[in-house]
Amino acid sequence: MSAVSREQIRTMMAEVLSAQGKEMPTDDSTELEGIGFRSLDFSELALRVEDETGEELNFDAPGLRQIRTVTDVLDFLEQLQGA
Amino acid sequence: MSDTTNTPIEPASVVVVSGGSRGLGLAIVEDILAQGAKVAAFARTVTPELQALADANPERVLAASVDATDAKAVAAFVKEAETRLGPVDGLVNNAAMGQDSLHIHTSPEQISALIETNLVAPLLLARTVIRRMMAKGKRGRVVMVTSVCAQRGYSGLVAYGATKGGLDSAMRALAREMHGRVLVNSVAPGFFASEMSSVLGQTQLDTITRRTPSGRLVEPENIVPVVNMLLFQDTNLNGQVITVDGGNSI
Repeated sequence: MSAVSREQIRTMMAEVLSAQGKEMPTDDSTELEGIGFRSLDFSELALRVEDETGEELNFDAPGLRQIRTVTDVLDFLEQLQGA
Repeated sequence: MSDTTNTPIEPASVVVVSGGSRGLGLAIVEDILAQGAKVAAFARTVTPELQALADANPERVLAASVDATDAKAVAAFVKEAETRLGPVDGLVNNAAMGQDSLHIHTSPEQISALIETNLVAPLLLARTVIRRMMAKGKRGRVVMVTSVCAQRGYSGLVAYGATKGGLDSAMRALAREMHGRVLVNSVAPGFFASEMSSVLGQTQLDTITRRTPSGRLVEPENIVPVVNMLLFQDTNLNGQVITVDGGNSI
């Protein structure tokens, strides 16, 4: 299976937020803390991406701690698929 | 990123049970069914008892012959469970192999096999099940069946005790790591009367019973209600070991 696009990741992230009654911001520079997107939500998003690609996305915790904004999430998952 | 989650986790609705074909595992499978939930049970060999449950409840029971140490086969079984029964939100990590040999007389191969079966396999199963929960946006509950051997030293159970202690440690870290998305606990049975009677004489059994504060040895039916509580009740128990041994270890 091919890589999941940035736009698809954004849609999946919106689904993760929506399941908790939260909204996906339109501005990608939005801080995750402000929208209630937590580290396990990121894990859930990564697993959804995995389901699409069929490839495991494993990463260390320090990388996760650098993620602050929506852009960071999209960048990280895009880069992880290319790694 | 940080985590805060504060609503109670729902009772389990689809539970994977490893080593579910006989003894305690089978009793847990029967109890989950009686509770009204669905159950996916695997073991190296599917016994006629487990097969009968699956035949009588085809919509609610999935049973298969899977070696717990075969990670690929286990992952395929969890996927099949998800397809047949719905998203998995519960796990009872019960499969284990026993030991009855002094450490100095236990072969390196046997020690490796104990670690593979009793520690590596349950860690991989928990990883697989929790990954599926997360991918489906679910929360859930995990119960590790460990042993009083993790807390006290018993002759003839060096590697076995090490694996159960390792699993209790992993349970605590996992409970913290999953931060309210998954409740993770251990149930630590004492020695089952039925197992002890096969290796000990009546005099030894009587002595052990006399030294047990409750005055009786533990049986699988004593463990089942505790597993039930951890799978289905809202107790907010998380990261704990519940020892069920009649107070023998206190």
